[in-house]
Amino acid sequence: MTQEQQLSRPPGRKALFRGMLQVALSSFGGGMSAWSQRIVVEQRRWMSNESFITGLTVARLFPGPNQINMAVYIGAQFQRLAGAIAAVSGILLVPFSLLMLIGVIYFQFHSIPAVDRVLTGVVAAAAGMALSMGFKILNVYWRDPLALLLAAVTFVALEFFHIHLITVVLSIGPVAMLLYWPRGAQRG
Amino acid sequence: MADPTSGFETLLQVIVTFLRLSLFSLGGGNTLLAEYHHLAVDKYHWITNTQFADIYALAEAAPGPSSMIVGLLGLGAGWHHGPLWGLISGFSAEVAILLPSTVVMVMAALSWNKLKDAPVRVAFEKGLGPVTLGILFSVGLTVLRTADHHWLAYVVSVLVCALMLFTRISPLYFMVVAGVLGGLGIIQR
Repeated sequence: MTQEQQLSRPPGRKALFRGMLQVALSSFGGGMSAWSQRIVVEQRRWMSNESFITGLTVARLFPGPNQINMAVYIGAQFQRLAGAIAAVSGILLVPFSLLMLIGVIYFQFHSIPAVDRVLTGVVAAAAGMALSMGFKILNVYWRDPLALLLAAVTFVALEFFHIHLITVVLSIGPVAMLLYWPRGAQRG
Repeated sequence: MADPTSGFETLLQVIVTFLRLSLFSLGGGNTLLAEYHHLAVDKYHWITNTQFADIYALAEAAPGPSSMIVGLLGLGAGWHHGPLWGLISGFSAEVAILLPSTVVMVMAALSWNKLKDAPVRVAFEKGLGPVTLGILFSVGLTVLRTADHHWLAYVVSVLVCALMLFTRISPLYFMVVAGVLGGLGIIQR
């Protein structure tokens, strides 16, 4: 494979910080994974597309925000723990400071009628984005009746019986894991 | 916990709340939104229903991971005791929600090669996917109920949902257009 040769030198902590900062600032209005791929794989050529996809799978598998987990994965690949810290700082520090500033402005001025009116519209659009999250991954499970049943039970428990999220995850989760436990010689 | 009277008590309440939830942020953390709403609005009265909807929209629109909404919730909780408590509480909330899950992720990233063919890994991934799906539908409805109280707002939300699914237009445009409609008084709470 010539792909290895095309990759650039493994990034140090500063480069990881700067690269992840670039990802964070590019993702204004969403689409962070796409930006992350463009910057890490295509522009900076730190890793192959294949290892990037593996990282994304791991990041989605474990609890925590996908983008933060992905930064941990990328940072740890090159500089172990120090790299993970550098990458997470890169993706968080500037956007978080900015968001806190926005928050302070919000809490100071949200009672002004004009601000409130504009936010009313923005909120309706944002609610539409929240509504689309479930539909977005529905196609993955569409042909799997067991998965749909588990999803329906989870939904009903939360929505109609108001059972606490942690209780739901800790009770339905293990059952779901047993049902999907890989059998015999089959390898995952 | 009783209604805290000092900034320090609120801070502790915020930290404990988000530390406990961190490892349950499946599916990228959005699965916790309904729980955040329940805790911040109904249980601890950190913010109002309207403020929750506003904060959610701000976190979605701002650059960076949208899960940073937790920082804004912490800010709102501490705000009652002044802006400085708000900022301390906001920063602490974000650290609390991220620390446990990030520590787990660091361990996972460093030992992934050993873990990747383990049956428990396969079962976890395949089994928790459908659970996440169910939670996300519930979360979508919760945010919708929190945000919209007028028929036109519901129409806008459903339209944006459809556009998110069937086009690749950046959601930023939807928020700008809807913000203008709101500013003109067309969409009302």
